[in-house]
Amino acid sequence: MTTDSVSAGDDPRRLLSEVRTLAHRVRLDQRLTWVALLVLAGVTFLGIPFDWFGMKVNCTPDGVCEFARRGVLYYWPLASLLAYTAIAVLYVRAARARGLGARVLPYSITGAVTTLLFTATWVAAALYFPSHPQRFPEWVLVFDRLIAPWGMIGVALLVLARLERNLALLAFTVVYLAVVLVPINFGWVDHSSTRAEFLPQQVINGGVLLLGAAGFRRWQR
Amino acid sequence: MTDAHPVTGLDDVVHQRVRLGILTITHEARRVEFGYLRTQLQLTAGNLSQHLGVLETAGLVEIEKGYEGKRGRTWITLTPAGNAALAEEIGRLKLLIARVEEGFTA
Repeated sequence: MTTDSVSAGDDPRRLLSEVRTLAHRVRLDQRLTWVALLVLAGVTFLGIPFDWFGMKVNCTPDGVCEFARRGVLYYWPLASLLAYTAIAVLYVRAARARGLGARVLPYSITGAVTTLLFTATWVAAALYFPSHPQRFPEWVLVFDRLIAPWGMIGVALLVLARLERNLALLAFTVVYLAVVLVPINFGWVDHSSTRAEFLPQQVINGGVLLLGAAGFRRWQR
Repeated sequence: MTDAHPVTGLDDVVHQRVRLGILTITHEARRVEFGYLRTQLQLTAGNLSQHLGVLETAGLVEIEKGYEGKRGRTWITLTPAGNAALAEEIGRLKLLIARVEEGFTA
């Protein structure tokens, strides 16, 4: 860079190109994607025992079981809010140490809103469905997975990808959401135990987030 | 009657590579520290201070000095006028490029 004023006839293309390069560099320096994914992976793995031990299961002698995932309802609202707060604090601290402001606030707000949305939906379902049992078509189950904490993590990550203009994170989030919404089952789901039935998917969700954290850490983006 | 050429609307304060760089970084970062600007723009402290002075006088940036521990830190933020000036400058640069391209294809 020089200190000379640019004449009106100077190359506007070069100026615009420099503007874009500088803006891109700042965005890269503001990112802390791997930390966000690591925190979310940690929260996901920590939630597994809460779901396992907090689940209320009532089976009749003829083998029909009713269950209520109370552990999810007790653990996830608080855990999510703490996770989004922790991510915001870590982003702000890291950006500040680099001499920058952070762009994380809309992500944390989205995280809080999705947490409220999930909690309200699950509380409503817990109040309504015990007295109105029914079988759902597949599309309702996909929506159910989206509104669950693991789906809401993906929705909030889409916002983070937009804020950071981070194409790699967008691609990762699309894959993550596909895994969450269309569960992978290679026959390892144990249908003999209601508790065990939900275990593999949570391990996979946490594993994908952990792999993402490792990948973004490796490439620092 | 023809439209005024985009060059006529260029603001001399903003239409300068270093100052445009300062405004761009500050806009993107929301808030930026003096040292970060100096590193990214490869300027001496004195040179950067001069440009910041011009921008501050024009009301385009706000400069806040403080301490973190024993270390002095200077933070720069964009004012609403600074945001508007940057958007205006980028718009005019795009217009200039469009005019140049029109000239080639005419």
